[in-house]
Amino acid sequence: MEFDTQLLYAHDQILLALMIFVIMLGMGASLTTDDFKAVGRRPRGVLIGFLSQFGLMPFIAFSLATLLGFPPAFAIALILIGCLPGGTTSNMFTYFSRGSVALSISMTTASTLLALLMMPVLLKLYAAGFTGQISAEMRAAGAETDFVIPTGNIINSLILVLVPVAMGMILRKKSPGWAKTAEDTAGFVAIIVILYLLLTAFIRHGDLFLRTPGVVYIGALGIGLTGFLFGYWFSRLLGVFPLFQRAISLETGIQNGPLAFAVILLSFQEPVQSQMLWLAILYSTFIVLTSSVVTLYYRKKGKFDWDVYRNTVIHNRLFGPEYVTHYPDGFLPPRLVKDPSQGNSPSQKRN
Amino acid sequence: MEYRINAENLALLYRDASERFDALPAFAIRKSPLDWKPVSYQELYQQGLDLATGLIELGVRARDHIGLFGDNRFEWILSDYGVQLCGAADVPRGRDVTDEELLYIIDHANIQVAFVETPALQDRILRLRDQLPGLREIILLDPDALPRKGVKKLQDVLHHGARLRVEGDRRVEERIAGVRPDDLFTLIYTSGTTGKPKGVMLTHANMISQIKNIPGIHNCNDRVLSVLPIWHIFERVIEMYTVSFGGCTYYSSIQTLGEDMQNVEPTFMASAPRLWEKLHEKILRQVKASHPVRQVLFHIAYFLSRQYRDSEYFLTGKFLKLRPVPLWKRIVLTPFHVARWLIVLPWYGFFNAAVLERLRIGVGGSLKATISGGGALPIHIDRFFNYVGIPVLEGYGMTETSPVISVRSMDNLVVGTVGPPIPETEIRIADPETSEILYPNDKLPDQGRAVRGEVWLRGPQVMKGYYRDAELTGKTIRDGWLRTGDLGVMTHNDCLKILGRCKATIVLSSGENIEPEPIEMRLQQSRFIDHCMLVGQDRKFLGALIIPSLAEFRNEGIDAESVEDLTRISEAHRIVRSEIHRMISVSNGFKRYEQIRDFRLLPDTFQVGRELTNLYKIKRHEVESKFNHVIGDLFSSEKSRKF
Repeated sequence: MEFDTQLLYAHDQILLALMIFVIMLGMGASLTTDDFKAVGRRPRGVLIGFLSQFGLMPFIAFSLATLLGFPPAFAIALILIGCLPGGTTSNMFTYFSRGSVALSISMTTASTLLALLMMPVLLKLYAAGFTGQISAEMRAAGAETDFVIPTGNIINSLILVLVPVAMGMILRKKSPGWAKTAEDTAGFVAIIVILYLLLTAFIRHGDLFLRTPGVVYIGALGIGLTGFLFGYWFSRLLGVFPLFQRAISLETGIQNGPLAFAVILLSFQEPVQSQMLWLAILYSTFIVLTSSVVTLYYRKKGKFDWDVYRNTVIHNRLFGPEYVTHYPDGFLPPRLVKDPSQGNSPSQKRN
Repeated sequence: MEYRINAENLALLYRDASERFDALPAFAIRKSPLDWKPVSYQELYQQGLDLATGLIELGVRARDHIGLFGDNRFEWILSDYGVQLCGAADVPRGRDVTDEELLYIIDHANIQVAFVETPALQDRILRLRDQLPGLREIILLDPDALPRKGVKKLQDVLHHGARLRVEGDRRVEERIAGVRPDDLFTLIYTSGTTGKPKGVMLTHANMISQIKNIPGIHNCNDRVLSVLPIWHIFERVIEMYTVSFGGCTYYSSIQTLGEDMQNVEPTFMASAPRLWEKLHEKILRQVKASHPVRQVLFHIAYFLSRQYRDSEYFLTGKFLKLRPVPLWKRIVLTPFHVARWLIVLPWYGFFNAAVLERLRIGVGGSLKATISGGGALPIHIDRFFNYVGIPVLEGYGMTETSPVISVRSMDNLVVGTVGPPIPETEIRIADPETSEILYPNDKLPDQGRAVRGEVWLRGPQVMKGYYRDAELTGKTIRDGWLRTGDLGVMTHNDCLKILGRCKATIVLSSGENIEPEPIEMRLQQSRFIDHCMLVGQDRKFLGALIIPSLAEFRNEGIDAESVEDLTRISEAHRIVRSEIHRMISVSNGFKRYEQIRDFRLLPDTFQVGRELTNLYKIKRHEVESKFNHVIGDLFSSEKSRKF
């Protein structure tokens, strides 16, 4: 399929850049240096999250692109999305799904930093087959050069994006009130901008929705869902407890969408840029819907173990760290009896 | 995963709870914000057995009445355990009991053994002792206080009982086995809003039926925050209910409530309307003080939540339905509500998560439900909490019905009503004058729904009677039906709506009947008015006694040191007058004769125990007699004024 027109005009690009800035600022505003230190306190969870995010997700993306027979530019975009670090929205969804927000924050923090290293490597590895296809198409169209993954540019754009994150962290330190506002605004702005982009795409290129192959929709929708599913069962197989399982699942499926926009805008050119952006828009839209549904499901499913967990946390908070809550026999299912988080655990970070 | 103990009486409930919940905390006592002392079900029961043995040793017989004077503390519930386990009944009253009441109650209930909480109470009762020949033993609850001569310490009685039990004393077990369902577990003296104290006899069967029938889904993970006075039956039933599902009751207080909500993260709570009013004010103040962006976000969130919930209530039929909704109206409105619900849903979802959840965290974040009782919850407060996602279940009851008659449940949350009657409870609405049954009545349209009248009920929670007052008992309970003295209607979705007290009705000399409560509630929504009471029985017009809000007038720049100063400032009168005109007008839906023609500012605030009951209901006769001269002055203009 051909994208003869540019998907985004200059002012849309500025809007998108602004959105990325606001969201990354919001992400930074939600972080403290303690969150980085906390990563060290939860090495096992973060490690499983890391394996799930950078091991499973890119592979899922690659498999989906291959199995569904994605056009190459879309395939690269999907793999790019698969290689992204976790987004801040995962923290909010984890909170409402009654998962461990602390672990979610630790995973987001760790993966954002590690992305500098992992993203270029993984992208190069998984996208290799598809870059050849694009080069061949470009040569057929009369181009002189081969298409290559712009590794250097990607690293630069990642570093660039970390600047507002750092600014947000400074803001948090200087003025917690403003930081909270920035955090709230970020989520809202993201929804508005994505809806705006969808709407303008619909008005300007109404046929774009029709011209996009059906498999692309399936892929954009499926990558998040598959991520949730694999993240959930992968961590389950490793013996992770429900509270953390839900956090890892959501962290795996929810990627940092705005970062995808930033990398695509800053590192890729036409003819692939518009197609890649389109997929990123689709993913960002679908992921909000799928995570909402999955969150509601987890929230219901996790109600009992969450209640048990909170109760023991509060007992330890009020009755002292040594206090052990003894439930009547048969009240807890066997899996929760073994769960260390149901006994003496540090109280959970709420916001 | 719900589980409730189903026992025959409270003594067995305590025993079964100990067996089932064992080491789980039953009660927690606050020592500092983050330091609470838990007492497990098992410990509490063992101590209860020891205390009961000690009481038996002191000569307490089965079915004796034991005085229990004091407020919420662990020793209170321990004493109750002791009393129930030795087959006696307690006669509870708070620290604020007056000397006359003490004399009256101890004599009337024939109390021989009494617990007193504090040294001050101990001294008071000792001063009165000469006038109380029947009182044999006084036991001091406070473990840190020194007992005076002739007073025993709770711990000593308990230890003595413990020694006896070690030696094999098993008299308590015999007592437990001897408790009958219609034995009293408590005898509660209510001063209520009128007359001399009446002893309400409540039986084990009464309380057990309440534990069984109160709607709710709870298990031993639940944390219940307690702020209401324990000697009030509403708080008592919640604590007994909590024991039945194995939850832990955390003793908080009004002063520390905000902090304790944060630390305890309660999942359930019982409260009085005043508490929600205060909380509502506090939340709005916080919103106002917050960042402008956050204020806007809050208002958007609240607006969306209203749209969303209103459509949800319409579609599920959970709205105040006094009259049936005609079919055509339903057909016309349904698509609108479906569309609105769908459109608002994603936005509501986002704002609910991002904004309203913060607000809920402010009250701990884990509240599944709260029950409000003991008075009418103003409708705007009711709506506010339900819109922001803190489900307030308003209930209705009285001491005479141990106390719950009806309560909204989570899946029948009709704002503006007190919910459907609880199981096994039958409701009748009757004409207060003629006693004609208006609901259920086959001759009236819809069986008499939406017709107002006095609420009558029949059910297992109805008291045994008033102690040693067969006449009053006969007047209150006739042919098995208890006459509540409250005005109410049944709605079309079978919920009860309470309109006020029959007796509070003010009849003007023109013969017009006025329900003062809705008007008073409306007036109290003014930020300048703290409290008010309408007067005008047998007068030509309606007047109001108003307690102005000192803080708000000061905010307006009026220089006053006290409420009393305000009564002399004409600007304050002007503001209150314009507030009254603004709030109570024909255009606001009030009738002409409901207009307030004149008012007086009172020099002192109403206080609990004096002008207010412990649940903040006005003791009308109390206010009337105290401010008789003010009322006289108010109506002295009767002749001169022409309207």
